[in-house]
Amino acid sequence: MELHVLIVDDSPAMRSFIRRVLELSGLKVGRCLEASNGEEALRVLESNWVDAVLTDINMPQMNGEELLRRMSGHEVFRSIPVLVVSTDRTEGRIRKMLTLGAKGYVTKPFTPEMLREELEHSLGVIHGTE
Amino acid sequence: MEPNEIQGALASAVEEVLETMCFAGVLASAEGSAPPEADGVEPALAAELRFQGNPSGGFRVGASMRLARVVGAGFLGREEMEVTDTQAGEVVCELANMICGSVLSRLESEAAFQISHPELTPPGQGASCAVAAASRWFDLGDGILTVSLELQQTV
Repeated sequence: MELHVLIVDDSPAMRSFIRRVLELSGLKVGRCLEASNGEEALRVLESNWVDAVLTDINMPQMNGEELLRRMSGHEVFRSIPVLVVSTDRTEGRIRKMLTLGAKGYVTKPFTPEMLREELEHSLGVIHGTE
Repeated sequence: MEPNEIQGALASAVEEVLETMCFAGVLASAEGSAPPEADGVEPALAAELRFQGNPSGGFRVGASMRLARVVGAGFLGREEMEVTDTQAGEVVCELANMICGSVLSRLESEAAFQISHPELTPPGQGASCAVAAASRWFDLGDGILTVSLELQQTV
């Protein structure tokens, strides 16, 4: 089964990198949509179904925290697993994002294996396969 | 925070980010803003950001356009000649973001930081990092990458 994902990051270079790493990781990636901030991500989700959202935290207009809050409060979007991909490694931040509804957290820099493992974990959590 | 500790954090962070994200290795590195033989040539591309926390400060990464293209090619999975100037700049900004995050977590693993969006600055205009607490250069074979960290307050 193909995995459709939405990558949310204000850096086009980082979005390209994540897309490539997903392909390198061995996951069968289908549609790979992109958004440069939380606001744009919500608009993309209004008209596209994805299996997972990978989001940065520090973004202009709407950051990753607010995106998580909005998704958690949305009847449909709350069921989409969110994986946070950020340079912030502080425990407090990781705990906060997980409390807000993120299913996983990957810190930059990361290897394809690390991203795959955390993404599969996030998908497993939401599908109750753990 | 000891100078040796900062130098160690800079070296480890740069090596980790380059190896993991750009598939590039460091041939040599040392304290200072450039190798002795570099004649003070300013890097063509420099990205700078600010961070708030304890401590607060600034961080800057510089590279020649050629090196930025080489590193960008590794990061984006493209050929060097396919990497545009814009993409090279984006990759240098992203390097600044990741290296700074990694350095701060090595120096203050428990502290929370707010890191600003990295921005490209014209060569020779790194005013906010003019008084660097620590600078280090890295020879990647295709050019020199420089990093500098400015701290406004110490713990």
